[in-house]
Amino acid sequence: MKKSDVVVIGGGLSGLFAAAVAAQNGKKVTVLSYGAGSLTIGGGIVDIMGYADGNVPFATPIEGVKNAPEGHPYTFIGEDTVKEAVEAFKKMASAEGYAYQGSLDEMQWIPTAVGTLKPTALVPRTMDVAKMEAAKKLVVVDLAGLKDFSAPMAAKNLGLLFPNKTIETVKVPELEKSGRDMTAFDTARLLDRADIRTMFAAALKSKAGKDVCFIVPPILGTHASYVAFDDITKQVGAPLVECAAVAPSVTGIRLRELMLSILRKQGVVFIEKANVCGNIVENGKVVAVTTKDFGRQRTYRADEFVLASGGFYGAGITADQENVKEVVFDLPIVAPARVEDWTNAKMFSDAKQPFAMIGIAVNEQLQPVDAEGAVIYPNVRVVGRNLAGYDFCFEKSGNGVALTSAYKAASLIVKGGKA
Amino acid sequence: MEKVTAIVIGGGATGVGILRDLAMRGVDAMLIEQRDLAHGTSSRYHGLLHSGARYAVKDAEAGRECIEENTILRRIGRHCVEATEGFFVRTVEDPEDFEAKWVEGCKNCGISAVQISVEEALRLEPNLSPKIKAVYRVPDAAIDGFRMVWQNVASARRYGAKVRTYTEVVRINSTNGQVTGVTVRDYFTGQEYQIACDFVISAVGSWAGELAAKAGLQVGVQPDKGTLIAFNHRIASRVINRLHQASDGDIFVPHGSITILGTTSMAADKADDTEPSVEEVKKLLNIGRVLFENIDDYRILRAFTGTRPLYSADPNAKGRGASRGFVTLDHAHDGLKGFISIVGGKFTTYRLMAEKAVDMVCEYLGNKTPCRTAEEDIVEDPSEALMGRAKKFFPVHGASLAASRLGAEGLSRVVDKLEKQPSSRQLVCECENVTLAEVEEAAADPTSFTLSDVRRKTRMGMGTCQGAFCTYRTVGTMVANDLTNGQDSKELLKDFIEARWKGIRHVLWGNAIRETELTRGIYEGTLNVNGAMKK
Repeated sequence: MKKSDVVVIGGGLSGLFAAAVAAQNGKKVTVLSYGAGSLTIGGGIVDIMGYADGNVPFATPIEGVKNAPEGHPYTFIGEDTVKEAVEAFKKMASAEGYAYQGSLDEMQWIPTAVGTLKPTALVPRTMDVAKMEAAKKLVVVDLAGLKDFSAPMAAKNLGLLFPNKTIETVKVPELEKSGRDMTAFDTARLLDRADIRTMFAAALKSKAGKDVCFIVPPILGTHASYVAFDDITKQVGAPLVECAAVAPSVTGIRLRELMLSILRKQGVVFIEKANVCGNIVENGKVVAVTTKDFGRQRTYRADEFVLASGGFYGAGITADQENVKEVVFDLPIVAPARVEDWTNAKMFSDAKQPFAMIGIAVNEQLQPVDAEGAVIYPNVRVVGRNLAGYDFCFEKSGNGVALTSAYKAASLIVKGGKA
Repeated sequence: MEKVTAIVIGGGATGVGILRDLAMRGVDAMLIEQRDLAHGTSSRYHGLLHSGARYAVKDAEAGRECIEENTILRRIGRHCVEATEGFFVRTVEDPEDFEAKWVEGCKNCGISAVQISVEEALRLEPNLSPKIKAVYRVPDAAIDGFRMVWQNVASARRYGAKVRTYTEVVRINSTNGQVTGVTVRDYFTGQEYQIACDFVISAVGSWAGELAAKAGLQVGVQPDKGTLIAFNHRIASRVINRLHQASDGDIFVPHGSITILGTTSMAADKADDTEPSVEEVKKLLNIGRVLFENIDDYRILRAFTGTRPLYSADPNAKGRGASRGFVTLDHAHDGLKGFISIVGGKFTTYRLMAEKAVDMVCEYLGNKTPCRTAEEDIVEDPSEALMGRAKKFFPVHGASLAASRLGAEGLSRVVDKLEKQPSSRQLVCECENVTLAEVEEAAADPTSFTLSDVRRKTRMGMGTCQGAFCTYRTVGTMVANDLTNGQDSKELLKDFIEARWKGIRHVLWGNAIRETELTRGIYEGTLNVNGAMKK
């Protein structure tokens, strides 16, 4: 196996973005992936920081970064790096023809499939909330046969939030008689086709007009491009805004396509179904990681390693009744000793869940450290969900920590380890 | 004022059994339940239809009652029973001398216990520990507590009985030592009102002491807490018991695609003390590992807790020593005519308990109509024609599941709906094969107020995903059909997930923690059902 400059462990957003940044700066990168992480759950939208402790919304994303509590990944990543990372991401997406909008200075309150609003920072153009806010009438699209989207529920709850707007729903007949259950992804695949788009737009047109904005489930095409979105918007003659909805997340699938396309152009080696489970250490540095799949062991050598294996959800960290374990390097985990102390009595409350804060402790170089703060492996950087000290669901900070920690790790590697 | 002859308090197995029996004998009756049907112990136990073998040594009378009722319920309640049979397994840890006593006990009770070789047992149940010493086959079975309760109510309603859920008893009213009615409170509105009656039958299990106090009486029931674990696999195809003196954590019961292991036993302060603990779960796993060495390879879906009503004439007796048999108490002897309590017992003998209580009422009424609950099926089989129509919409297995959940009548309404609106075949709950049409049917029932009520009727949200996907869909259906009773849909979503969380947070390791991250990622991260909105 040829040696790389950088091996990235994990194919979620943090892994893909770290690989892209390193590769863009001339590094030879290999990504070892075992799934898409949480990209297919909530992905596609870049939350930076929505809520402070006590369930209090921040006015802007950057205010959230500045006020991140002690031990939060943002305190290691640093405000300047967060700003650079956001710019780098936007530039990269733009160059690929799938630009993201929004900034650190303005909170985007995007609509959800429940009819709540969710604070985020960067969104694709399909989620331009300014259009929704400007409209006097919101029409929620009720597509027959589509699972996981309740137009009546979204309309009812949006009505509570916007008492001065008229809220309606519009019924759209089934786009295809398939005889099976249709997910948002199935529907988006249909809307990749021009003939289906025409049919869909025609059903909306009757409700289009001045000051109208359509709220749609995330179904406007599967690809990281605005072809389907622009075509439908033009035909309807009124703006459409996609909402955040139940997995599988179509917007996340688009973002994954975007990142993979970038990696491909930069010659990043992308290995799928790579179950990374071991490592080789020489003279205090990691020289390789090993994978085991279908009974065959492979070794991937590199100078630098990025651990983007996704915490509990990505199975980069596992727990049994007695122990919590990081699976590749056996790094120490910061966790309350007793399972009894891992949870709040209520799942939803004004407090973060202790188990969600479980992760790997790092220094400002994102290198893993032990309880005394000593670096364990100088050439390993920990990014994304593996990091201790944040609850992405509560804060609305998931992809923000993923992108910015990935950017920092990659930049440090590119600059030869100096921040 | 509304008036009925008899009011049954308690919507568990015993209460609904009494209601059905009263209605079948022509007594004008109403059932009152403080929350939802089967909200108490009838849904917080193994789901085991005892053969009686567990009691063969210690309590022969309970053993005999069990085998008789087991035989009856397999017939009249076959839609709720999966005739799995059971194994009694002697492990390395179980004393050898108990075996002969137990074989003799089963013989005396009339319970078939047939020994098979360990090799044969391991062929039938390959997950069993190869170290086991002896195995017997007994006629245990799995029974669905929710469905049994629900179908009894459907049957009672056909005979004219009334049911009121989310109705709490405030007081039992009487004049000159004779019951005249009850004062109740609507759980949602808080409104209090009276219903007149001549008889009040208390079938509230662990709550019997609390309820009797509302009539100024004392009933010696000690709530005893038992915790159980649900695994998301069928670890065994049969009920697996330990062949030893009945003890904690020694029964595994397969249900559909899951397995339940239980239980612990611990005196509880209150009947609704139903919070499991990590310690209890670990204890159960340690005991369970003797039968299934690979138990830690299975994902735990959740832990749950119920309270058994242990009756003793001496209110200070506690724990497993107290009798599991049941008694019918006529409080006329305590100075209150028309008030009857039925306490103790077990799910398997609910029908017999009901029969005894109703006999007591009928004797007062001079009603000579014989009890027929042992003969008449609780719900009818769907006709072949109806099943044929159903199979056009359900997958074959799904059609049988729906038929057993709904009974002939309910299935017929659902199939009508599907024929009119074929798109309602959509699966709302993939884990348990529940269609949109069924969810609509359950949500529209007058006893459905919350999502958990729909869950108990359909099993939606009870499978592998524990509500991660179907919660949103079901609430959407309730909103679309205007069935939320004015409740905020965000609260309905949260309440349902919270109810699941109560059982998951004590088993938060392995894949349960990943599943939790998924559920939170959807509802808190993406749909923001919890976050404060901007000003």
